[in-house]
Amino acid sequence: MKDSRSGHGAYVRKVQEGTQSFTHDLLGELERLHVLVASLQVEKETLHDKTRGIQQVLSANEALRALAASLEAEMNRLHEQVVTLRAANERYEGEHAQLSAQLDRTRAESQSYSSRYAEIETQNSNLANLYVASYRLHGTLDRKEVIDTLQEIIANLIGSEEAGLYELDEHMQTLELIASFGLAPDAQRSVPLGSGRVGQAARSGEIFVAKPATSEADGGLNACIPLKLDGKVTGAVAIYRLLPQKSGFEEVDRELFELLATHAAMALYCTSLHARLRAQEVAR
Amino acid sequence: MKKKILCVDDSRTALFMVTTILKKEPYEIVTAHDGQQAVEVASAERPDLILMDVIMPRMTGFEACRELKQREDTKAIPVILVTTRGEEENVETGFASGCNDYVTKPINAQELLAKVRDHIASREEAP
Repeated sequence: MKDSRSGHGAYVRKVQEGTQSFTHDLLGELERLHVLVASLQVEKETLHDKTRGIQQVLSANEALRALAASLEAEMNRLHEQVVTLRAANERYEGEHAQLSAQLDRTRAESQSYSSRYAEIETQNSNLANLYVASYRLHGTLDRKEVIDTLQEIIANLIGSEEAGLYELDEHMQTLELIASFGLAPDAQRSVPLGSGRVGQAARSGEIFVAKPATSEADGGLNACIPLKLDGKVTGAVAIYRLLPQKSGFEEVDRELFELLATHAAMALYCTSLHARLRAQEVAR
Repeated sequence: MKKKILCVDDSRTALFMVTTILKKEPYEIVTAHDGQQAVEVASAERPDLILMDVIMPRMTGFEACRELKQREDTKAIPVILVTTRGEEENVETGFASGCNDYVTKPINAQELLAKVRDHIASREEAP
């Protein structure tokens, strides 16, 4: 019985020891599991954070995709706009080239009109000179006024400060000075026909013009205009020194010479005729 | 209203030439035959511009210009002298007498018209 009791006690102790050991092991295991749970909890937290980060990245990515899509759409729109603008630009360049060409043509036309206008203005001015000369010469039957007018034409329209007006003495075959301005008092008052430039011009009936204008040669004679009526020389205009600002004769001066050649002769002749008629009337 | 221009010259041919040129434009022309008459006409007519020869009897263009520029009623009227000699001393004498500009004989129609237009326009712009 004693043996059975001691056997039973040993058994209980053994069981107790086993149980204690098991409990101890269980507690160890429990502790390990606790640690494991804690570590898993941390890992779970980490994973949760990572998941949240990934979700953020994904949503950012989505936003970027949307942005990229909108940018692409904008780019396409701009591209279309560029194409349209290029076409418009090409059209405008074409129009610009056309307008440039038109502008060049207009400029050329304008220049041509301007030079034509200047030409016409010069012609007008020349005609005015001729008109004034003719009008003034034929505006009177007074000999003195015709002679004064002739001198005024030479001074104001031709631009001379020294000139002499000669009339032909048919009997003596000389040119007699009837009026002058600017000439020295000892100027040749009587020129034999054919003598010197003035006499030669009067004999030939041809207008003499010094080339270039001179102040020395032929006694400073710049031009000599024989006055002619019905092809017959009746006198001469001798033009000596020109005004300082006048460097030479122009086309209008030559036209004035032509006009003076006939109109001055006629005007002077008319005054003589008129004077004769008046004298006859008085004599009656 | 037409602008009035007083043309002064003792030479009837020169005066006729100037008026013929100016008649192409819408100007009213009045004339005088010497400096003294020019001063009288300018005072009575108050032209917008005076175009005056230099060498004239009774009163030269220089003297008339001085007189016009001294008178209260005519001093603002621009004067263009028409000189026979365009040498520097003549031009200086002209400007010393108070003239605003000058042209030389023989008259160039385009030059004359340009100067006349300029001076009339300047007078219009003046306050």
